[in-house]
Amino acid sequence: MMRRVLFAISLAVIIAGNLSFTAEAASPSQEHQPSTPIEHLVVVMQENHTFDNYFGTYPGVDGIPAGTKMPVDPNNPALGDVVPWHIGNATITDISHSASTFRDQYDNGKMDGFISALNSRNQDGKLAMGYYDGQDIPYYWNLADNYVLFDQFFSSARDGSFANHMYWVAGVSPEAPKGGKLSDVLADIPTIFDRLQAAGVSWKFYVQNYDPTITYRDVGSRGNRESQVIWVPLLNFDRFIDDPTLSSHIVDLRQYYIDLHNNALPSVAYIVPSGASEHPPSSIASGQRFVKAIIQELMRSSAWDSSAFILAYDDWGGWYDHVTPIQVDQHGYGLHVPVILVSPYAKSGYIDHSTLDFTSILKFIEQNWNIAPLAERDTNANNFLSAFDFNQTPHLPIFLPSTRASVAPVKKDPSRVIYIGYGSTLSLAIMFIGVANYRSHRAKVRELRKLLNE
Amino acid sequence: MRISKSVNMSETVYGESVARPRAIAAVNEVVASRLILVIAMVTGTFLRIWQIDAMGFNTDEAVYAGQAAAIAHVPGLSDIFPVFRAHPLLFQSLLSLIYRIHFSDLLGRLLAVVIGLSTVLVTYKLGKTLYGRLPGALAATFLALMPYHVIVSRQVLLDGLMTFFATLTFYTLAQFGKTHRPAWLFAAGACLGMTFLSKETSIIMIGCVFVFLALAPEVRTRIRDLIMAVVIMGVTIAPFPISLMLAGSSSTGSNYLVWQLFRRPNHEWSFYLTILPPAIGILVIIVAIVGIYFLRHEHSWREKLLLAWIFVPFAFFEIWPVKGYQYLLPIAPAVALLAGRALGRWILNAKRTRFTSPIRTFFNQPGLYWLLTVAVVISLGFTSWKQIQPRTSTEFLAGTGGVAGGREAGLWIEENVPIKAHFMTIGPSMANIIEFYGVHLAYGLAVSPNPLHRNPSYDPILNPDLQIRNSELQYLVWDSFSAARSPFFADKLMGYVNKYNGRVVHTETITVKDMLGNTVVKPVIIIYEVYP
Repeated sequence: MMRRVLFAISLAVIIAGNLSFTAEAASPSQEHQPSTPIEHLVVVMQENHTFDNYFGTYPGVDGIPAGTKMPVDPNNPALGDVVPWHIGNATITDISHSASTFRDQYDNGKMDGFISALNSRNQDGKLAMGYYDGQDIPYYWNLADNYVLFDQFFSSARDGSFANHMYWVAGVSPEAPKGGKLSDVLADIPTIFDRLQAAGVSWKFYVQNYDPTITYRDVGSRGNRESQVIWVPLLNFDRFIDDPTLSSHIVDLRQYYIDLHNNALPSVAYIVPSGASEHPPSSIASGQRFVKAIIQELMRSSAWDSSAFILAYDDWGGWYDHVTPIQVDQHGYGLHVPVILVSPYAKSGYIDHSTLDFTSILKFIEQNWNIAPLAERDTNANNFLSAFDFNQTPHLPIFLPSTRASVAPVKKDPSRVIYIGYGSTLSLAIMFIGVANYRSHRAKVRELRKLLNE
Repeated sequence: MRISKSVNMSETVYGESVARPRAIAAVNEVVASRLILVIAMVTGTFLRIWQIDAMGFNTDEAVYAGQAAAIAHVPGLSDIFPVFRAHPLLFQSLLSLIYRIHFSDLLGRLLAVVIGLSTVLVTYKLGKTLYGRLPGALAATFLALMPYHVIVSRQVLLDGLMTFFATLTFYTLAQFGKTHRPAWLFAAGACLGMTFLSKETSIIMIGCVFVFLALAPEVRTRIRDLIMAVVIMGVTIAPFPISLMLAGSSSTGSNYLVWQLFRRPNHEWSFYLTILPPAIGILVIIVAIVGIYFLRHEHSWREKLLLAWIFVPFAFFEIWPVKGYQYLLPIAPAVALLAGRALGRWILNAKRTRFTSPIRTFFNQPGLYWLLTVAVVISLGFTSWKQIQPRTSTEFLAGTGGVAGGREAGLWIEENVPIKAHFMTIGPSMANIIEFYGVHLAYGLAVSPNPLHRNPSYDPILNPDLQIRNSELQYLVWDSFSAARSPFFADKLMGYVNKYNGRVVHTETITVKDMLGNTVVKPVIIIYEVYP
């Protein structure tokens, strides 16, 4: 009897909980209505590129300074320097990007260890000085041409992917205590999704090729697929794994397309890749295709009119960057990374120089939906509202090409040649008919006069 | 002055000399001819503008109007339509002048109507030059009401202008034949050049001219005059290759010519024999043929001119198996002239000759021929009227009218689809329509990647599967017209729709009657959204 009562109570709690979640997700209270025209924020976090690596040669940005040279060994100038070089189709590898590599490359703020740090780890140090340009990542450069490119957006941690992804969702990056489990620490750390859930603001975490069975509990047995646990930091939180009201928000990327078609895009959508992450040495072209498909679907959905899309890169990936990161606390900032904002309200072809990091995304969410901050970082972070112009005529959706317009040959305007050529021959024909007609008429008149004279 | 001229002509033909009745008859002929011409022009105008805008452009219209828009720098379209595509640009450049003032598809069709009606007037002038006012007026009437000419001159096609200049060429030749003045031969050279600038297939009209001059020794032509006329024609044609060269597109024109010459036949040899007679008018053809036989005693260089005009293009397009419905339109005025000549002669000849045989007497009544004329006119007018009614079928013959739902689908695309989204259609026909009305690039799946098997004006989709996966093609379009022509590629397209999460975002339908006579709504165009 007792068991039945307990079961009934449990069932009622679960149903009530679900109903409560549904009601909250469907209609956030007045208090949490967006304060700007942005009702949907979509953020894609790609992998491992610095700003200089992708946009160092983009016109008008704080990019690779002229005359840049990197010593092969800062302690031995005789070994010479390496200048930035265009990667193009050159073969690259996964450059070391651990916290210790960062320390060596950063070299106490001298920023001169990019090559030596890799050489000392048995990698080809000159790889770090490679960069891509508009011919390699044309779609991203086209996005920058049309929307907003941030050139002072820093990765949050001087570390690899996990730490930066943690800042992206929680504004902190705790470490596991000695002999303890990270999940125990995380149990007490709120994420932006906890806040959104509580506020009744809808959210989803979309994962390319999502496998719900891969969580922190399976690390060590799933090979390369374990990157899912790093790129979806929520899979390190017990509550986001076990509580269906939370775990049901972590879904495969296919659901993103379905949600767009059903006009059900949540207010906040985080997206992470799987194979299309651009993590060296994987294909940057496939990463562009991945991002392009996501943006295009957003653009042709009803959500576009009230959306903002952010493309960001989680860490520097071992690549060179010339900007010495600001020291805001013991963890960061890391090197500056490429970030692009696409929105109907984004300024056109605008380069935003605001100092930002991943917690600025949290800041935007918190301010837009009136949500309490999570930690000190996001409390103090700058917002990126300067990149919007809410008074402008919203951008119409545009499917930008995957080629750079500058390489297309300039067409000659043939209209003048056509008008002159065809016009003059038409006049010529009219003239010939006129002359023939005139001569015939004159001949007739002559004949008539002759007849009359006779 | 005009009356005395008619009297003189009548005297040479009929011999009888009674001054007063002839003068009255001549006055009557003038009045009747003018009345007929006015009625023909009014009716012809009505048939050409009735519901002219009910349906959007077909693929050819979309291409020519798109070229005109590109010449006129119409925003959006000038980036999509290349100016140099296949044919010369006389019509397009004329249309572009209108587009510089106001851009609308209706204006393009109205220009075609004006050209068509001008052809009717030139036909009258030619008929008058060859046979007198009444035959000219009747020929003009037949052309004004002829379904073939009515249908084509309601559309933004090059053939209407080509027919106008071809008729003008033969008018100048007729004047040359009549007056022997070289100035008319030079004018003929210029007009022939303009015919070429309207559409390059009219180059075969040179054959008509030479066949005529060869078969009509009574039209004496000096070699130096002939050479001069050819030179003038060459000068007139020159803007076509020169503008291609100056714009750096000379390979476009030559590639297209090579492709046209060696492309596979797209119709059976019986195409013109079965399709054209009802379009020209069976009665018109019969009257023309019967007239040639029964008026054989009057044969002169005039009939040689008209017959050369008809048979050279007809023979050429029968032997050269690339056929388009509108390709033989330039011969329509010649057929109308032969029919007009026959009926005009019979009407004027009747009662001027007395017969003892009752059968001959019966056939010597002008009323009989007026009745026959009315029958021809009614049959032409009725057929044209039927042809210009809104289509109630999902299939039709290319070149015979607009495409149901094409404009509406295009306008929906322009309004609702993101800028620079790319479309894949079954074939290039629908792609052209989408590009014109939708202002978005579209590619036909059926366009062969083999350059030997495709119109060089079109870009093939080298790997549709890859391009959809790369998000370079975002919309697929099925249409009933292309599906009926290319069921293989229609199935292929639907395969991509199913593979890449195709979702219907827009459908155009028409109401048709099924085999049982029930009214049913059928989709004619379906637009799918796909994503990788």
